[in-house]
Parts: sequence; structure tokens; C-alpha cells
Amino acid sequence: MEAVKNAFDFADMPKSELTIAGLGMAFLLLFPVLPHSSFAMATMIQFLMFSLYGMGWNLIGGYGGQVDLGKAQYVGIGAYTTAVMMIRWDVPFWISTPIGLALAVGWSFIIGYPLFRLKGHYFAIATIATSLVLKDLFEVWDFVGGARGLELPLKGDFPNWLYLQFREDYYYFYILLGLFVLGLLVVNGFRHSRLGYQLRAIKDNEDVAKSLGIDAHWSKIKAYALATAYVAVVGSFHACYNFNIEPEDIMSLDLSVLIAMMAMLGGAGSMWGPIIGASILVPMKSYLGDWLGGQAGLAGLDLLLYGGIIMFIAAAQPRGVYGIVEAVRARRRK
Amino acid sequence: MEDLGIQVLKSVVSGLLMGLVFALVALGLTVIFGVMDIVNFAHGEFLMIGMYTTLLTSPLLGIDPVLTLPLAGLVGAALGVLSYYGLIRFLLRGPMIAQLFGTFGLMLFLRNLALLTMGSEPRILHKGWLVGKSFIVGPGVVLESTKLAAAVLSIVSFALVWWLINRTKVGRALTATSLDAEGARYMGISTQKMNALAWAVGGASVAIAGGLLVNFWPVEPGVGLLFTMIAFATVALGGFGSVRGAFVAGVLIGLIVNIPPIWDAMLRMIDAAGLADLQIHSFKYTMVYAIYFLIMVIKPQGLFGWKQ
Repeated sequence: MEAVKNAFDFADMPKSELTIAGLGMAFLLLFPVLPHSSFAMATMIQFLMFSLYGMGWNLIGGYGGQVDLGKAQYVGIGAYTTAVMMIRWDVPFWISTPIGLALAVGWSFIIGYPLFRLKGHYFAIATIATSLVLKDLFEVWDFVGGARGLELPLKGDFPNWLYLQFREDYYYFYILLGLFVLGLLVVNGFRHSRLGYQLRAIKDNEDVAKSLGIDAHWSKIKAYALATAYVAVVGSFHACYNFNIEPEDIMSLDLSVLIAMMAMLGGAGSMWGPIIGASILVPMKSYLGDWLGGQAGLAGLDLLLYGGIIMFIAAAQPRGVYGIVEAVRARRRK
Repeated sequence: MEDLGIQVLKSVVSGLLMGLVFALVALGLTVIFGVMDIVNFAHGEFLMIGMYTTLLTSPLLGIDPVLTLPLAGLVGAALGVLSYYGLIRFLLRGPMIAQLFGTFGLMLFLRNLALLTMGSEPRILHKGWLVGKSFIVGPGVVLESTKLAAAVLSIVSFALVWWLINRTKVGRALTATSLDAEGARYMGISTQKMNALAWAVGGASVAIAGGLLVNFWPVEPGVGLLFTMIAFATVALGGFGSVRGAFVAGVLIGLIVNIPPIWDAMLRMIDAAGLADLQIHSFKYTMVYAIYFLIMVIKPQGLFGWKQ
């Protein structure tokens, strides 16, 4: 009960932030009703997915300060579990997703145990390696379709709630929005939880945290598993939404880094950070790609600009957008 | 059984040659890491640019690809210095995560710059002193002159860098900075200059490796990532910051990558139905990642590492 109460406890947030969050939520709720293009809708769905990925990453990477660049492997586990179970045994989304989640979390415990003996760069690069190993295995594993990936069959009978297949995008949008709210509540609960305080203590100074009796290794593994849960569920959703999954798409290093970038750009270790990051990066990438990606002779220009912008942000504002907000607030208090 | 013997010999030879090139690729990464604790995601992209430099300047200047290597080195060094003063200098002020993303942005930038200007089709050198020639060393063992030259020249480059670091005044200053940047600064060694030097040496050595590689490995804008990961694995195995470690580990990784063909040969000999379909050789780079992971967990300081 304590956990549920914590999840709804927003008392420590400044009023201004809560007002903006409320307005944003109202906008999200009304968005499908407002006039919009189907491209804008697709971008919004991407935004919600990446916010959720980023929120998950933020639990271990932001609050815990452990730079994890291997989250794509769990997107893969979630997506493939749902896809394989649906193709082979007709298992509905609502049953395969918890199974995918359990598999992903189980796997995260297995590799989290050795991983968290490492720190800093060593940890970051090791997470990349684990993710790439899994991707390579999936690329040659015929059971999951190898490098070509899997195509999900159309089940008909739209709107099909069982297999999450809809003709109109707003069904997907509202399902994701539900997950988004749930995700936010869990993050809020985490902030107030024992584990949340332990992780922040570890981030500030691991040796001091240990001397206070915190089992740093075990706390990190638990937060890592919680972060994995977010990513795996959205992965399962991604499989149903996209109808087509392949290792290069959903298990690549680029996706892992992108997930982490949401939180980093917005402000790692703050609740709104990943959402701010996703609301900037996702539309930027998607509209840059739409504007420049399709033009003949300009292949790569969109990602070139994108890379340039990332460099600039990392160099000019390493603490993210939320870092600016905090700096302004600190100055005003003086 | 003779077949297997030849297979083993072949694998060991090609593994050694490839390993020496891997070592040179990793050298730049380990020098940079040793001096300033920063991981460069764009390392493979430097290699790609070295490959394109040799590929494009050789017909343009009308000289043999081998002679363009110093030019590739210069381009790499310039790129390294430019990256340092334009980007890395600012990243060093931020937390580690900003450094990772900054170099990741650099990687995206360079890769797509190549895509924009060079197109996506893979290209390779078709003529030159080395291309297409080979020596037959023993029964079934053929040495391609491209790979042999790449291996020899990478030893030469290694020796040059080793000499620079261990036998020159500026090299000692570099070592001093990597051991204790603050202490070195009190002695009048500019950290900024030493960092830039590390990036110059790192960029030059990896670009030369690219110039050697393009003789037998096709270049395309996305070629870098595989080599970045191999370089990470090599540096981890050898120990972050250790030049000697990069050399030994590069050769070891070259051998590891070339072991799977031996298994394939064994499987063919057994010829058990189904087993031969396993295609173990398609796992060769997976093994590199897996070994990287194991080393990091079991012995994070690597074989010769001194930074931890």
C-alpha cells in the first residue's frame, strides 16, 4: 500500500512543473481528436514509445548513474517473445507480453550480476557487448526468422483487442498513453521508494553508500531489472504495432544509444527528463528524415544534421534541458 | 588428417596477419584512453576516412596506394586534432555520459557525411603493387601480398608510435600527463597540447590502418562499427591505455576470429548430418564480443593494463 501511496504522491514537485505536466497530459489526451496528419500521429506514437524507453533507462542510468548502452537487447526479447508466440501458437498480446517481460527480467538478472561488477566506461562498453552478442545470435537463429526477422500475420476482425491489431492509429495511441501514465506513476513511486534513495546515494558516492550498509551491487541489479521491464513491454508493443521486426531494427546499438539519449538530452535523473528528451529528439529525427531523407542525392543528410545536433548538445549542455531549468531555478533562489 | 593440419596452419597465418592490423586499429584507441579516460565511438569512422583517403587519392595523384599511407596518416592526425579542439575539449567538462554521446554524435556525423559524399556502395582498390599478388608458402597455404604488407607496415607503425612514446621528450610528456595530468601541469606540460597530441597520434595510426585495410577489405560508410567494437575488445583484452597490450591483444583477437574456420573444417570431416549446417564461422565476431564481456568481468584491467 505504501508503494501505491508513493506513486500518487507528487507533493514534492514544484507547482509550475505540475501545471505544465497537467497541460501536457491534457494535450496528449485530446491529441487524436485535434486535426492532425497521419504522419504526426505516427510521430506521437514514436514519442510515447521512446518516452517509455527513456523512463526505463532513467531508473538505472539517470537515478543510478550507471550508463547502460545495451537496452536494445530487451526490446528484442520483448518483441520476439510476442511475435514468436503469436505466429506459432496464436497467443494473444496480453498473455505473451508478461511472458516476454519475465524472460527479459530473468535475462537481466543473469547478465546484470556480472555486469555490475564493472564501473564507468567498462560497464558502458560491456553492456554494448552483451547486446550485440544477443543480436548476432538472433540473426542466425532460424526459430526467430534469422536476419530477415519476423512478419506478424493479420488476424482480421478489426479492431482486434486480443492481438492488438487495429486499422486506426488512435487505438495504439491510447493503449500507449495508458502505459505512459502507468510508467510515470511507477517512476514516481520509485523516486520515493527505498530503492530509489539507495540508488541516488550510490550515484553520489558509492563508497559512502556502501559504508551506510547499502548493498550497492544488489540495488543496481534490482533497478536494472525494473528498467528492463519498461523496455520489454514497449518492445512487445512495438512488434504488434509494426507487424515486422528484425534484429537490425530493434536490437541495434543505435537503438540502445537512442534510448539512453532521450534521458540524457532531457536531463538524466529527473522524472521529466526522458519525456522532454523524447519530445525534442523524436519529432526532430522524424521530420528531418521526412524532409531530407527521401530526396535523391541527399541520403544521409538528415542523420548528419542529427549527429551534429547531438554533438552540439553534448558539448554545450551536458546536463540536458532539465539542467537548464534547475540552473535557472537555483539562480532565482539566491 | 592432413586436411585439418593445413586448415589449422592457414587459419593461424591469416589470423596473425589480420591480428596485426587489428592491433594497429586498437592502438589509437588505447593511446587516447590512456591519456584522458575517454572512449571514442567514432574510432571506426576515422578508420573509414583513412580507407577513403587511400582509395581516392591514389588515382588522383597517380601514385601507388602504398605511397598514400603518409597522407592517410596526416588526414587522420588532422581529423583527430580537429575533433579534439572542436568537440572533445568541451565534452571533458561534462559527465561521462556526455562524452559517450558526444563521440556517438561525431560517429553519426562522419558516417553520414561519407554516405552523402561517397554513396553507399562498397568499394575496394583494384590496382596497385600489392593487389592480386600472392606467394605460395606451403601446400595449400597462400600468403596474399596485400595482407602480408598490411601486417608488416602495421608493425612498422607500431614501432614508430612506441618510439615516439618511449624514446622522445614529447612522448615522455605524454606519459606524464596520462599518469598524473595535474602533476604534469605543474612541471609545465600543457594538458591541452598533450591531449591534442594523443588525438593526433590516435587518428593517424587508425587512418593508416584504414589505408592498409582498403587493399583487401571493401570500404562503405558503415564499415566503422565492426572495427570500433573489435578495437574496444582489443583494448579491453590488452588493458586500457597499454600500447604493448594492444599489440598482443590485437594478434590474439585476429587468431580468435580465425579459429572458427578450423571448427568448420572439423565439422566437415565429421560430416554429421545437421551439424555441418551450424555454420560456426558466422559467429566469429560474436565470439569477439563474448570474449570482451568475459575479460571485463574476470580481469577488468586486461593483460597489461595499469588504469582501472
